[in-house]
Amino acid sequence: MNAVIIFALLTALMITGMPVSISLGLTVLTFLFAFTQVPIESVALKLFTGIEKFEIMAIPFFILAGNFLTHGGVAKRMIRFATSLVGHWAGGLGLGAVVACALFAAISGSSPATVVAVGSILIPAMVKSGYPVRFGAGVVASAGGLGILIPPSIVMVMYAVSTNSSIGALFMAGVIPGLVLAAMLMFTTWWRAHRGGYPREVRATWLERWRAFRESIWGLLLIVVVMGGIYSGIFTPTEAAAMSAVYAFVVAVFVYKDLKLKDVPKTLLASANMSAMLLYIITNAILFSFLLTHENVPQAISEWLLSNGLGTIGFLLAVNILLLVMGNFMEPSSIILITAPILFPIAMTLGIDPIHFGVLITVNMEIGMITPPVGLNLYVASGISKLGLSEMTVAVWPWLLTMLIFLMIVTYWPPLSTWLPRTLGMM
Amino acid sequence: MLKVLDHLEEWLITFLIGAATLIIFAAVVHRYASGVAIPGVQDWLLRQNMGWAQELCIIMFVWMAKFGAAYGVRTGIHVGVDVLINSLSDRPRGKFIIFGLLAGALFTGIVGTLGAVFVWENGAHYAVYTALGLDTSNMYEGPTTPDLEWPTWIVYCAVPFGSALMCFRFLQVCVGFVRTGELPHHDHGHVEGVEEVPLTAPGNEDKVFRLDDDMHPHDEGPPGPLLDHGNKKDGGRA
Repeated sequence: MNAVIIFALLTALMITGMPVSISLGLTVLTFLFAFTQVPIESVALKLFTGIEKFEIMAIPFFILAGNFLTHGGVAKRMIRFATSLVGHWAGGLGLGAVVACALFAAISGSSPATVVAVGSILIPAMVKSGYPVRFGAGVVASAGGLGILIPPSIVMVMYAVSTNSSIGALFMAGVIPGLVLAAMLMFTTWWRAHRGGYPREVRATWLERWRAFRESIWGLLLIVVVMGGIYSGIFTPTEAAAMSAVYAFVVAVFVYKDLKLKDVPKTLLASANMSAMLLYIITNAILFSFLLTHENVPQAISEWLLSNGLGTIGFLLAVNILLLVMGNFMEPSSIILITAPILFPIAMTLGIDPIHFGVLITVNMEIGMITPPVGLNLYVASGISKLGLSEMTVAVWPWLLTMLIFLMIVTYWPPLSTWLPRTLGMM
Repeated sequence: MLKVLDHLEEWLITFLIGAATLIIFAAVVHRYASGVAIPGVQDWLLRQNMGWAQELCIIMFVWMAKFGAAYGVRTGIHVGVDVLINSLSDRPRGKFIIFGLLAGALFTGIVGTLGAVFVWENGAHYAVYTALGLDTSNMYEGPTTPDLEWPTWIVYCAVPFGSALMCFRFLQVCVGFVRTGELPHHDHGHVEGVEEVPLTAPGNEDKVFRLDDDMHPHDEGPPGPLLDHGNKKDGGRA
């Protein structure tokens, strides 16, 4: 019963359009005040201790690193490298877009930024070469979602923080699914291009490929710093994030010279702005999960589900549907922070692997980015391509379908995510 | 006066994120560098204790989070579920927006007050009275942080001050909205240094944007500002 009141309250506050963080906080205060004897002062302590975890601090550092490298120049180099690799197949620029998004995703961690960086160069280029604009916009909007699956990923840090899972293991778990999804998206792109008879590029020579690779190497090395550092135990994930921020700063300012020294404070400010927003949601989400635990909501839901005979398969299906629906209305970080404290204990009761569950949630978030009405990638791609939102929705369907198939594979075949971290001895 | 506050806020959070990064970087470099045998330097490095780095980083980020959240209200980065209210006509939509902003002010106001009471009872009261030379016999001195041994109440001051500022920002945005009908809008897809290239396929310049049939509603897409920054950057060329 309490669960119903809490969620009704939260939903009611949320649909008025107020910030998610505020609705979470107000739900907690209202409920504690109106329905319980818990002194509101006890909330105060939670407010202070909420974000005092070193793991959470990886988020600002990753955002900072991404912002240093998310510049037109880096994207251009990655696109050149990607197109030199796959451009000669049917739909070459489209395939290049997928590869470029995957590479760029590995350094940026933000989907919409990936779509802008890659899309604003490639969509016009594709239209110029004779591709339909819907094809170009669709492929970039969908492939941009790779950003949160391929590590480093802020969404994964959010999940790890709210469920006490290992960030390193989650990152490793994202690698293979990320590559598989990239391959599947490429296949869809190729198939559509092949059917539509879209143009291809001139095959690049190995020398050209090598040159393009050398130019983009500094950006690509960031992946090595993060993943290598965490895996070898040289850094903790938070330290790896801080190191990558410093590394990205050096590359952007001194190597690529994309960023002038006097613009650095602006980048710092923008990163602080974004991080503070996420940290603020986290603080309030921690309050909210305190309320849920206090009212035994996860146990109640869990018992109710189990008594209704919902097994692992049914539960995972229900989770997917719930997350996909929520993904239509909210942005990923909020969804994870709100749902993880409830879903995670149930998943544990059912014996689902925590890392596998994290990857599954991340893939759901990815799909949420390209489904209307709230799909940031759609908005951004529609801004570049000048297609209306409803046309964008039509434009992404082949890739959306691919992602849904991929989601089913990830959901019901755990080894895809857990094999790599397990083999590396990280879980 | 307000300008000064604005700059102070921006300056503070810029400094905090930058400094925290450098501190962690220094701590990691220190950890590995002190393992390298360089005569003289190694001894000096070993004498430095960087154990406080993690704690200081957390404190700095907590401060950054609280004041950054206030700055975020001013830049409109705190997003909500606005699909429903955006489909309303202007007047009811405006009412919901004002409700949301006031709710924000209410929440941050309550949190700020709770925080202030907490800080006062956990050391600030004692510290102030000690400083003034008053009787502190019945008061709680308050805990200190484990590594730096700073009184925690100073660290926790971020909550009352940050929340009070955030409350003020919500009210400020609300007043601005009532006066001008405009809200600060944050552009999530903005990438520095990306130029917008006009979309034109040879021969069908005006056709590429729209489907030929009339079966699709020709909506406007997102309201303009998504790529405005890019336009300004290259002198409105696009």
